[in-house]
Amino acid sequence: MPRQIAFEDLIGWALRVGVLISATLIIFGIILIVVHHGAGYYQLSQLFSIHSIVNTSSLPVSYINASSLSHLNGLAYVLLGLIVLMATPIMRVAIGIAQFSHERDWLYTLITAIVFMNLMLAIFVIPALVLHH
Amino acid sequence: MLHLPLDIFIGLVLIASIISGFLGSLVGLGGGTFLVPIYTLFLGIPIAYATGASLISTIATSSGAASAYVRDRITNVKIGMGLEIATTTGSILGSLTAAYIYAHHLAYIVYIIFGLVLLSQIYVQLKKSSLELPRPMKPDWTTRIFKLYGEYYDEALNQTVKYHGVRWWLGEIIMLFAGYVSGLLGIGSGALKVLGMDWAMNLPMKVSTTTSNFMIGVTAASGSAIYWFSGLIQPILAGFTALGVLLGAMMGSRVLPKITNRLIRYIFTAILAFLGIEMVLRGFGVIH
Repeated sequence: MPRQIAFEDLIGWALRVGVLISATLIIFGIILIVVHHGAGYYQLSQLFSIHSIVNTSSLPVSYINASSLSHLNGLAYVLLGLIVLMATPIMRVAIGIAQFSHERDWLYTLITAIVFMNLMLAIFVIPALVLHH
Repeated sequence: MLHLPLDIFIGLVLIASIISGFLGSLVGLGGGTFLVPIYTLFLGIPIAYATGASLISTIATSSGAASAYVRDRITNVKIGMGLEIATTTGSILGSLTAAYIYAHHLAYIVYIIFGLVLLSQIYVQLKKSSLELPRPMKPDWTTRIFKLYGEYYDEALNQTVKYHGVRWWLGEIIMLFAGYVSGLLGIGSGALKVLGMDWAMNLPMKVSTTTSNFMIGVTAASGSAIYWFSGLIQPILAGFTALGVLLGAMMGSRVLPKITNRLIRYIFTAILAFLGIEMVLRGFGVIH
């Protein structure tokens, strides 16, 4: 089954690249924070404290933008690395849809599409419903 | 709480993460099992940030080990994906009912049930512990329809292992509960996923743990947005955790093909006892 093997290699390769990019961004970001003694308005000691006030409730995804990245804001690079990591399983499900439809396995194409839809629901719709109050 | 210099503290976070990634990749569990207790009890990290780091560590374990397991063809992506329907649905139901459950102080019941389910399985695991591969069961209608067949090359046994799964429906029911627990309590419930495949569907241990390893990443990703907006992720702690866990998971994924199913089952059973007791204690409010 050469067609299937090619897809499994693609998934393995995509995961390795995703994980590598994520780790590189996180390491780069931490180095920047140490070198700059902080990031943006935050000082190093604030960022590195276990009771840190800096968490994702005050850091929208838009914190990662052209300005923060071009000013070498280390926090933005760490956050970007974490998002890349969180995206790897989603990417794997998306590749799965392509894989099963390519194999003309319609039952599993449907199953994987439902899983993908559930994921999108959980990421983009549920937080708005749950966190409103 | 300990007052440690920063470099020693970071060193301990990295060591705990490497161990967690290593063990997690072997037995198909995420970070909730080891990392949260170590972070909260020994390192004094607030439970909220420990939970957020645990979500990141679960995804890191999953993706860090998966690239190797996909290459070794041990993970059964079809079986994993079929079961993910139930875990993602369960996780959505868990998130939606969480407010109600916590408002009525019912979370302790879920912890206790979860803990007792895990503890009750220790006996089942010990009974199977002499078997390297499961005793084949007669294929049923779900084996055919959902194509629950597979094979992988086992380096420890030096042979190609052919297997088939049964009772897909029972697997789905267990996964629905596993997903619900994840969405509600914020733990990956990898142990339930392994049990669903090992006990209900009669798959070889390595197939169960590596397929669980694939599934925990997807389940955790479904919780990522809620965790992010709730402010559970402290970027620096999560960042160091991700790095350590990735390293540990990659090491674990090199070891797994070479060790026996029996050894994996022994490690898994020990963790089952540890985790079961932990959950029951949490349910009774002894630990938080």
